[in-house]
Amino acid sequence: MSETIERLAPASAEELAALLASCDRDRRAVSVDGAGTLRGIGLPAQAGDLHVSTAKLKAMLAHEHADLTASVQCGMSLRAFSDALAAYDQFVPLDAPLRKKATVGGTLAAGWGGPRRHLFGRTRDYVIGSRIALADGTLANAGGMVVKNVTGYDMSKLYVGSCGTLGVLVSVNLKTLPAPKASRGFHHPLPLDSRPRAFAQLQSMTATPAAAFWIEGFAKEFGGHDGDDGRLFVLMQGSDAFLDRATRDLRSGLGKAGVPETHVVDAGANEAFERLCDAYVATVDERSITYRSAGDPSDVEGRALAMRALARRFELRADSICDVMNGDAILRVSDPDARGFTAKIEIFDDALHDDVPDAQVIAGDFAGRSNLNVWGAPPAAIDKMRALKLRFDPNGTLNPGRFVGGI
Amino acid sequence: MLAERLADALGADAVKTAPEDLAVYAFDAYSESRLPAAVVLPTSARDVAAIVRLARACGEPIVARGAGTGLCGGAIPAAGGVVVSFARMNRLLELDPRNRRARVQPGLINLDLSKKVAGAGLFYAPDPSSQKACTIGGNIGTNAGGPHCLTYGTTVNHVLALELVDDTGEVYTTSLDDAGYDLTGALVGSEGTLGIVTSAWVRLLRLPEATRVWVATFGDVEAASEAVSAIVGHGIVPTALEMMDGLMIRTVEAAFHSGFPVDAEALLLIENAGFEDDMDDCERAIEKICKANGGLTWRTARSQAERDGLWAARKGAFGAAGRIAPNTYLQDVVVPRTKLPKMLKLVDEAAAAHDLTIGNVFHAGDGNLHPLIMYDKRDKRQVAAVVDAGDQILSAAVDLGGTISGEHGIGFEKRDTLARIFDDADIDTMLRLRDVFDTGRRFNPDKIFPRGASCAELRP
Repeated sequence: MSETIERLAPASAEELAALLASCDRDRRAVSVDGAGTLRGIGLPAQAGDLHVSTAKLKAMLAHEHADLTASVQCGMSLRAFSDALAAYDQFVPLDAPLRKKATVGGTLAAGWGGPRRHLFGRTRDYVIGSRIALADGTLANAGGMVVKNVTGYDMSKLYVGSCGTLGVLVSVNLKTLPAPKASRGFHHPLPLDSRPRAFAQLQSMTATPAAAFWIEGFAKEFGGHDGDDGRLFVLMQGSDAFLDRATRDLRSGLGKAGVPETHVVDAGANEAFERLCDAYVATVDERSITYRSAGDPSDVEGRALAMRALARRFELRADSICDVMNGDAILRVSDPDARGFTAKIEIFDDALHDDVPDAQVIAGDFAGRSNLNVWGAPPAAIDKMRALKLRFDPNGTLNPGRFVGGI
Repeated sequence: MLAERLADALGADAVKTAPEDLAVYAFDAYSESRLPAAVVLPTSARDVAAIVRLARACGEPIVARGAGTGLCGGAIPAAGGVVVSFARMNRLLELDPRNRRARVQPGLINLDLSKKVAGAGLFYAPDPSSQKACTIGGNIGTNAGGPHCLTYGTTVNHVLALELVDDTGEVYTTSLDDAGYDLTGALVGSEGTLGIVTSAWVRLLRLPEATRVWVATFGDVEAASEAVSAIVGHGIVPTALEMMDGLMIRTVEAAFHSGFPVDAEALLLIENAGFEDDMDDCERAIEKICKANGGLTWRTARSQAERDGLWAARKGAFGAAGRIAPNTYLQDVVVPRTKLPKMLKLVDEAAAAHDLTIGNVFHAGDGNLHPLIMYDKRDKRQVAAVVDAGDQILSAAVDLGGTISGEHGIGFEKRDTLARIFDDADIDTMLRLRDVFDTGRRFNPDKIFPRGASCAELRP
């Protein structure tokens, strides 16, 4: 982005909509974000004329705690939002990195899928209504403030995950849930030969983990030792009775898989989970790229191993997180030598997509990111997506070039 | 002629044009009916693509149809058009137990899916009351719910990927795993106006370890509503939380003999599924809340057979209403859960104002009411009163911050009331979406959107 770019943070939905309309009329490209914590997803927006942030739209509009619903402006931070809900023992499992800074709107616009989604559902399933500012200045509502609603098309589904290319979310209505009563974390060193059986045990547990990861590396972000062959972190959440049961079942299941010991933490379990969420987007100076491959839990280990093996072949440092329950394989490649990294990464990117076509870039400040295949294989319905962009933003005003297929 | 061309392409056996055949497809569970020009029964996505291309060439509209159980006229044929029935595309194509998902054809009956995957310890969660007859394709069209979507969510939460035919006859796929816009999410609930689904990957859930079902009775619906608010307000979201008023208790009991106390004026049917370890605490907490809110009796179903019997009675309630009146009209509105007591009073007022009997059996836990208006369609006064009372109930829900459909859809019935919820700008965004998928308005025309709603008319 150029140094001379104008930066604005409108103070109201109406002001934001008027600003977009004026830019659209004048054919000025607008880049949009919340706090920019997920700016590593997709391509950087092409150098626009104006940068719009939702930072000043950060009010809680309503928390109908007895109805288990909330309405929030999109610039509110995840931390502020979750603190407000926690006062009534409620939560929404947004589970994005850097919660202190990350905004509700940015998390939704990026379509971030957290590690607890196998249990609680996808982020988008919590959005019961939205208000969006379109490129032409239209402010439009979708959904409502009720938890069940089939009145007209559910337009919010399109806005979540659209990276601000269809419009700018200004507020959203969300379902909330009663917060889990307690959390418990389990750290396990993982012997190499136990991994497949451990994964199968975790995926088939009746006392389902809230999250389960196989981690290699990320020592700075998550602790552990660089020399480890890998370790498991499992988060269990629920009532005290459930945690007792889950602890027994987990020890028994992992014991059968040959995982020898378990370190249990109650205090700090949620913090450890947050640190791990943060690690998804943690970068190494300007010489790292982090990929995510989303797929089936049944083959996540294979994908994760293939990705790590490839990094080794290119003599890149590999840190990886494997979301055992959802099937996400996360790989961060880096090189202490900046020149070496630049020389390798583009060839690595090609080779990676030969093996794992769907791998997407989710983090990395590397200047040459635009030359990488950041979205992975194009979706089958890319033509429909292009047509949709054209119908919502015919002048290509919003976040041009940021999205899949150059949308 | 279209029917002949369809018969040439798909075989004569796949195309129905005899008046007695067309009559069967002229209506769904709504009161209006219209004869189509032809009914086609495809057996593959390729067949569906051929149907779309031929209908397009002949300028004819297309209405996809599952079992025709929809209550809002969503599957009523477009006059003169083609009805695509999925009766011959009703198979489970693939089951992937480890990843807990299945690929199904749209004509597969909802309950049959759960039966077919039960052996793998799995089930399909959305469970509309019509689940013995309704199809997965129809459920996708309306984003169908059911009592258990209180915890599990409606159909959209359970659809992972779709194969569809677009308005040009191309077959394409969408998936939640794909990068890009969430087309899958937007297509579910679009009532057949954006394309025709030819197969779907759906999410399956593991059968719960423990399930308990309880019945609590109350002296009036207000007390039962307060108990519902209190249960949810205490941070307990059971798997299902259903309410029945006195009239419906007595009607259902006469039909099903489930042991519902006929002197009660309101009843909550509550289910919680999960871990055995949590069940006793959960039961104690809910029982205590019900008693604190005027609960009169409390019953725990002791066996699977007893639980099944209670649910059979609940799901058969609307059918049982035939004992009270020759005709019924079922309304579907949602209000914020805490507005239930007020909303039920307003339903009573609508009944009194129009001299009608209204029963209530509904998904109380998520604020989704189903006032059931009894009438005799031979009595014109009553028919007019039903229309007015239904409208009064809709308005009351909107005034309380609710909406005009929770799970049945907008269809033909409610299209002119869509504007009570959304203004022109809101509806225009929906039409922008429709422009991408159905330029010629050939898929299920005259549904969802108000008469005369087109981009040109809505846009300044």
